[in-house]
Amino acid sequence: MDMVIGIGLDALAYGMLLFIISIGLSVMMGLMRVINLAHGAFAMVGGYIASYAIRQLGLPYGIAVPVAVVATVVVALPLEFGLFRRVYGGTDPLKQVLMTIGIAFAVIGIVNAVFGPTIKPIPLPPALHGTVDLLGHTMAVHRLLLIVVGLAIAAGLWLVMEKSDFGVRLRAAVDNADMAAALGIRTDRLYLVTFALAVALAAFGGIAGAELMPIEPTYALRYMVTFLVVVSVGGAGSTVGALAASLLIGLVDTAGRYLFPSYGTFFTYLAVILIVELAPNGLMRRAA
Amino acid sequence: MNARPSPIRGDLVKLAAVALAGLAAYVVFPNDLGLMTRVVSAAFLVVSLDLITGYAGIATLGQAALFGIGAYAAANANLYGVGEPILMVVVGGLAGAAAGLVFGAVVLRSRGLAQLVLTIALVQLVHEAANKLSDITGGSDGLAGIEAAPVLGMFKFDLYGHTGFVFSLVVLLATLAVLCAIVRSPFGLKLRAIGRDPGRVRTLGAAVMPALLVTFTLSGTVAGMGGAIEAISAGVVGLDGVSFERSAMALVMLVLGGSGSLFGAVFGTAAFMGFEQIVSTANPFHWLIIVGVLLVVVVLFVPRGLSSLGHELKRLIVITGLKAEKR
Amino acid sequence: MTALPLAAAGVHLPAPATFPPALAVEGLSKAFGGLTVASGINLTLARGDRVALIGPNGAGKTTFVNLVSGLLSPSAGSISLAGEDITRLSDVQRARRGLVRSFQVSRLFHGLSVREHIELALLQRLKRTNRLFASIGRMADVAHEAAELIERLGLADIADARVDEISYGQQRLTDLAMSLALKPKVLLLDEPAAGVPTRDAGRTLDVVEALPGDIAVLMIEHDMDLVFRFAKRVVVLAAGHVIFAGTPAEIVSDERVRAAYLGAYGREDEPHGR
Repeated sequence: MDMVIGIGLDALAYGMLLFIISIGLSVMMGLMRVINLAHGAFAMVGGYIASYAIRQLGLPYGIAVPVAVVATVVVALPLEFGLFRRVYGGTDPLKQVLMTIGIAFAVIGIVNAVFGPTIKPIPLPPALHGTVDLLGHTMAVHRLLLIVVGLAIAAGLWLVMEKSDFGVRLRAAVDNADMAAALGIRTDRLYLVTFALAVALAAFGGIAGAELMPIEPTYALRYMVTFLVVVSVGGAGSTVGALAASLLIGLVDTAGRYLFPSYGTFFTYLAVILIVELAPNGLMRRAA
Repeated sequence: MNARPSPIRGDLVKLAAVALAGLAAYVVFPNDLGLMTRVVSAAFLVVSLDLITGYAGIATLGQAALFGIGAYAAANANLYGVGEPILMVVVGGLAGAAAGLVFGAVVLRSRGLAQLVLTIALVQLVHEAANKLSDITGGSDGLAGIEAAPVLGMFKFDLYGHTGFVFSLVVLLATLAVLCAIVRSPFGLKLRAIGRDPGRVRTLGAAVMPALLVTFTLSGTVAGMGGAIEAISAGVVGLDGVSFERSAMALVMLVLGGSGSLFGAVFGTAAFMGFEQIVSTANPFHWLIIVGVLLVVVVLFVPRGLSSLGHELKRLIVITGLKAEKR
Repeated sequence: MTALPLAAAGVHLPAPATFPPALAVEGLSKAFGGLTVASGINLTLARGDRVALIGPNGAGKTTFVNLVSGLLSPSAGSISLAGEDITRLSDVQRARRGLVRSFQVSRLFHGLSVREHIELALLQRLKRTNRLFASIGRMADVAHEAAELIERLGLADIADARVDEISYGQQRLTDLAMSLALKPKVLLLDEPAAGVPTRDAGRTLDVVEALPGDIAVLMIEHDMDLVFRFAKRVVVLAAGHVIFAGTPAEIVSDERVRAAYLGAYGREDEPHGR
């Protein structure tokens, strides 16, 4: 029983982390219809900047995190203007894959040249160090915080998507970009804001999840597959779908590690293949 | 314009060029035969990927799985007593073909992102399985002790890799010759059309799915042969042969060289691995920056690959010339 | 607009009872969600028929061709080809039975030459596209027929150019050549002359007019001059309904057609005022 709770809590924390990082990718895929293999690179850059800000510049955690998130967005935005914009929409997916994997390669190389090949820890403030008792199970405070923040982001995004003017425009553009443009929605500005939001969430996830997914140069490729899986399984552009897929992948992966440690991620990928075969359009398909 | 260039003669010229380049490299760099043999076996992987991505138009990031399965099959055959290298290549090819068919059956039911994710998931699955099934794969240590008998009982594999290189090159040339014929055949024409617009091919009355399954099988055969070649020449088969990273790199080599052209794929492999050797000895991460930037530039500005640069430049000059004339 | 029970216009034609119609569409309907794009469409093409399908933009003309060619499956109704019910058959199976279509926006294979397009269609008709090791160059019959089609469509100068490097008009002619290479029994042409310069449009119609007399042709077309030159009968579609079927001469005076076009185009007072 203790094990079940343990798996459940760990899976929840991991799933929430996947959600925080992947939701931006999902919205980008739904809205701009671009397969972005550089998304993990943005999360990684966020982690590097935060680590540098805390360990080299001595900034407190609470300030370093927003600074790193903003800095990552600032670094990434020129890529939107110069590169991403060229492959939005129904362009050849191979072109999107290659361009964004090229960006990921370059970022890996640059990050390594600047920061070196070792794992960069992101020291937590004392307040997040301890553990709490939850359902008779000890849990690290920062993991609990990850769950809470993840839920808050999910709720916030849901509110923005369903209730705000921005969300209405965004959903309209997801459903039909041409129609949205014809109705006077400035799609290019919408794309820019969405891109910035996606990068910001990725960077935040990269920082907050550094303990589960350590920050090192190959991060960008190592976890990219997982993020893509979440989007594919959840259905591009769906907040609820991404949340469900994140939790599902988090659960399968965590349970696999607990129960069959020698099989690595075998069962995760087996589950992915089965899910994609059964629901090729994702768990939560938006009405076409 | 009216005289139709003979495509077969063009193929023969290119085949001869590959043979000559290989022999020249053999003479000029006798100390780098190990690297050159790896280039040849990687060329099998990239050419096999070209059939799926360049010709059939399906992006895959899992091609190395087929290569690795061929390598493991050939290695196991050897450990169970199959010494003849040609037979080992046949075993690798058959295993690759079977894997390719399964791969196609799994992947072809989806499209777009789901399809791409499936290809990645498959290679990761094979990788994890290979890690676990250490009885037949050696797990993370790899399978060592593969010793091929002399080719046809005559040419013994030597320590310096002379036989390994020549054998690999000859098998590559033979494979390319067969693939050239297939690409030019009625089936190849249909395949190229499917890669551009499968829906339009259907309205001509041609079923697309069976043709794609055949292509995946063919591609698996070529990849599996490459895996066998690597097992034979290196004497070991490691887990890195079946990785996502290797699949991604194969795609990069293909696109840099020019997808949709068998010789572009070979050129891309040789150029990429040659430069990698030079640059990455200095610093492997500088190499990644170069590859990344090059990839972005090629995808955006030279979509048909570096081997088409001459043609593209000529076109650009012609087009600008026409525009200037109009003014 | 209500569905007017204008039954199959084929009644105008003295088709012998022994010949089933080349194409018979009955009660064909299609709805996307709540939006009805085809509603109870009846249409019969006899062997050798020449029918024009016209209607304002958004009337459902291309949807109709998509339904008949099997790219969309209907919500209700039936389609039969030479007496055989093909409603449940796939697009591939329909094409193999001789129901061939062209596309409004050319869907050609970038990177392939004009000649290769035609060869592909010929090889497909001859059931040779599963041959992995045959050489197209050694197939004299294919080479001969391809050359003949290239000549007929005036594509000789650019026969070995890649289709992405030729003019739009030439692309449309290549698309038409592919359809002809399949030797269809029923040919559905979706605006074969739209966007094509006058010279090539004339060529398109010349070729269509010179088709063997036993092929049934349905052509979507906006240009009323072409319609009058080509069609024995005209069918008018509006909002997914057939609102008129008759001879070209009858159409000009028909109130319903005027109303449909006026409704769609507002101020314009000519049915073909474009």
